[in-house]
Amino acid sequence: MENIKIVIDGKEVEAIRDQSVLDVARENGIYIPALCYHPEVEASGGSCRVCLVEAHQNGRMRLVTSCNYPAREGLEIKTDTDLVRRIRKGVVELLLSRVPDSDVIRELATRDGIEDTRFFKDEGDNYRYKCIACSLCTLVCEEVVGVSAISMLNRGYEKEPGTPYHKASQACIGCGACAYACPTQAIAMTDEGALRKIWGREFSMVSCSVCGKPYIPEAQVDWIVKTTGKERSFFDKCPDHR
Amino acid sequence: MESRKLNSVDEFNEYRAKILNSHKGDYPVIYVCGGTPCLAKGSRAVAEAFRKEIEAQGLECRVELSLKITGCQGFCSKGPVVSFGDDIVYMEVKPKHVPEIIEKTVKRGEIIEALGYKDPATGKKAATFDGIPFYSHQKQLILGDLRKLDPFEIDDYIARGGYASLDRAFSMDPDAIIDTIEASGLRGRGGGGFPAGRKWRSCRNIETETRYVLCNGDEGDPGAFMDRSIMEGNPHAVIEGMIIGARAVGAHKGYAYIRDEYPLAVEAMKKAVVDATALGILGKNILGSGFDFEVKITRGGGAFVCGESSALMRSVEGKVGEPRAKYIRSVEKGLYEQPTVLNNVETWANVPLIINNGVQWYRQTGTDGSPGTKVFSLAGKVENTGLVEVPMGITIRELVEDIGGGVLGGKRFKAVQTGGPSGGCIPQSKMDLPIDFDSLTDAGSMMGSGGIIVMDEETCMVDVAKYFISFLVEESCGKCAPCRDGLPRMLRILTDITEGKGKEGDIEVLEELCDVLSYGALCGLGTSAPNPVLSTIRYFRDEYEAHIRDKRCPGHVCKSFITYRIDADACTGCTLCAKQCPQKCISGEKKQTHVIDQDKCIKCNVCREVCKFDAVRVE
Ligand SMILES: Cc1cc2nc3c(=O)[nH]c(=O)nc-3n(C[C@H](O)[C@H](O)[C@H](O)COP(=O)(O)O)c2cc1C
Ligand code: SF4
Ligand code: FES
Repeated sequence: MENIKIVIDGKEVEAIRDQSVLDVARENGIYIPALCYHPEVEASGGSCRVCLVEAHQNGRMRLVTSCNYPAREGLEIKTDTDLVRRIRKGVVELLLSRVPDSDVIRELATRDGIEDTRFFKDEGDNYRYKCIACSLCTLVCEEVVGVSAISMLNRGYEKEPGTPYHKASQACIGCGACAYACPTQAIAMTDEGALRKIWGREFSMVSCSVCGKPYIPEAQVDWIVKTTGKERSFFDKCPDHR
Repeated sequence: MESRKLNSVDEFNEYRAKILNSHKGDYPVIYVCGGTPCLAKGSRAVAEAFRKEIEAQGLECRVELSLKITGCQGFCSKGPVVSFGDDIVYMEVKPKHVPEIIEKTVKRGEIIEALGYKDPATGKKAATFDGIPFYSHQKQLILGDLRKLDPFEIDDYIARGGYASLDRAFSMDPDAIIDTIEASGLRGRGGGGFPAGRKWRSCRNIETETRYVLCNGDEGDPGAFMDRSIMEGNPHAVIEGMIIGARAVGAHKGYAYIRDEYPLAVEAMKKAVVDATALGILGKNILGSGFDFEVKITRGGGAFVCGESSALMRSVEGKVGEPRAKYIRSVEKGLYEQPTVLNNVETWANVPLIINNGVQWYRQTGTDGSPGTKVFSLAGKVENTGLVEVPMGITIRELVEDIGGGVLGGKRFKAVQTGGPSGGCIPQSKMDLPIDFDSLTDAGSMMGSGGIIVMDEETCMVDVAKYFISFLVEESCGKCAPCRDGLPRMLRILTDITEGKGKEGDIEVLEELCDVLSYGALCGLGTSAPNPVLSTIRYFRDEYEAHIRDKRCPGHVCKSFITYRIDADACTGCTLCAKQCPQKCISGEKKQTHVIDQDKCIKCNVCREVCKFDAVRVE
């Protein structure tokens, strides 16, 4: 690991070589909007394009996505120029056309001074609820959880996350990591009593022997026991009462 | 071909001498074009007829005659093409012409003018390469060999000097090879025109054990077939280039990624790899040099975006062919995260030429900034279509008028579209623009991989933009928001304009969307997608305005703005149109003027196509 310095909005800040510019900005309290990136997910980022910034390097300027742009010595980042605002505004307006019901996107739009989109909205047969098809859910399932129960289906405009053929997936362990990671809260997951519903499947939950609260799907316990060799009895109690 | 491994350059030279010896000097060779367009026009039957006739006449005993099926000879619109050396060339040859050709041309060396090319202006026929403008204005450094090689015979390639550059390349220091390629000014022929030498050097400079060289044979541009023709017609030239590149950067494994719809190219390249490996030109310790290099053939993933470099590499790895959202260059981390050089088919085919003939020779052709030649597929509303190779820097006018023989049917020229679906349109006023990487980019288009479509006065430029954007909507991989969500919205606006629903301000909104894509999209597909829209707005803004303000389509193409009418003076009352009209909305007595019922007409153009008297007018 090589420590370097880069400049963000005129301020010199510390960074590790090849660290994501967005991470560096966040560590230094500099706000850049971002949706599809998660620091723990290696392959995430680059899809939503709202984290665009100006990168000045070797006498050249490029608009880049800060979430996956590597910090290198001599790099200067500008997060709030006319160009950045103009292009991001365009991207957000397009996202708003795709998911007009998403409060997260509406908030971003308001921040950028967009009242409503001028373009056609995805409604009726094309209704996409709140999903911006950024793939983060599928990457979390693959990289972090390790079960790959969901993946991106279809190409282009119709791209969306889902289980194979939209059938209830046997691979899914009901952990809900995808739903927690989703930047627009687009994944429906409900917990009612000791029953969790997600991706068209129902999971019965293990309850804590101390407080009685259902807290983890049985299928997830099976998975952890199988892959890590942890004792099953470990899951008798919820994290609060272990 | 003999199946033995050649263990040194000397053995290779002996092998070559043996092939040349067995040819025993000059003998007539009939070259029947085996390119895909000519095959479709029946060249196999022509070749068969030659074979039969030669056998029937027992010609082998007197003249040593050999018949080869070659790669594309270029003049696809006039196929099947049959040629004799660098001299005589016949077009539209049918099996029935074979006896006459054998009698006159093969036995007596006579030229049969009647089988030559007919100049549309003068009506004069010419049957020599020098006498036909389509060929005489070209400079065929790459395609020249395609006419004369049997792509399935490695001996043929070796006899013509193939693989001779390896001797020099192996005796050169890898850095010296890169210096040579850099000095030659060779730029990538697959799109961006990136200097090949610089790419190679960046790759070589990374410290690592494993590097890769890749050949991009995905050729996704609709209508383009330059790379296919080279792979089908001269696969060994591509492989020879890759060996030199591998040696220069220090790679021991290469992949040729070939579009799935190109079975013949796959077959030719596979055979080339097998034959070269058998002779020890590929594999371990190539020609005793101590250098190992193997080539694998990979079939493409079937999508346009698979030709994009990061998508291609993922596809080679067996993953979904989607662009990667990383800013690390593939010369640093490419295939399997290792430093990788990716070059286009035509780029690779240029490499042996440079090593064999030197930088000075190479730079004699083309311009300072874009040396060498470029292969184009010339298509659209032009008399002569086909595969052409011209020196860089030739003007659009020369390409369209001299080589292309002018606009089809004597109509007026309007524009050329270059660079594939995300290229741009260049107008009449820029006919004298030199065709090179930088001039085309400055003019708002790009070289792309070399598709050239000629458009005449009956073209609507808004419709053209709509056509390319709808192609790109289908091909967007959907990974990033600007391209995935922006292109369909751009298409909607363009569609509205062509359907009479355009409004003031649409042009500006289109320009805004174009900016969002060119600055905001993830990969080259999205960032270059605005070109068809921006270039048509730049040069044909008046056509956009005519659609929006005057509800008029100047090219008479957009159905909402046109009506079909039968000219009473020209109509003979032959009733043909009335019979063919799918709407049955044309009425009239025999030998009387016919009339179209405008309420029912769907503007399908059938009447205009079938009318023998040119009586149907579009207004
Ligand atoms: C959407 C897209 C499609 C592409 N398709 C091709 C292709 O079919 N063939 C090709 O050689 N290059 C294609 N390219 C360019 C490649 O990414 C790459 O630049 C090229 O293969 C590098 O080789 P070169 O430097 O020899 O041209 C494409 C680029 C994009 C963005
Ligand atoms: S620009 Fe288009 S093709 Fe390229 S990554 Fe984005 S959506 Fe996919
Ligand atoms: S957060 Fe960077 S592209 Fe989505």
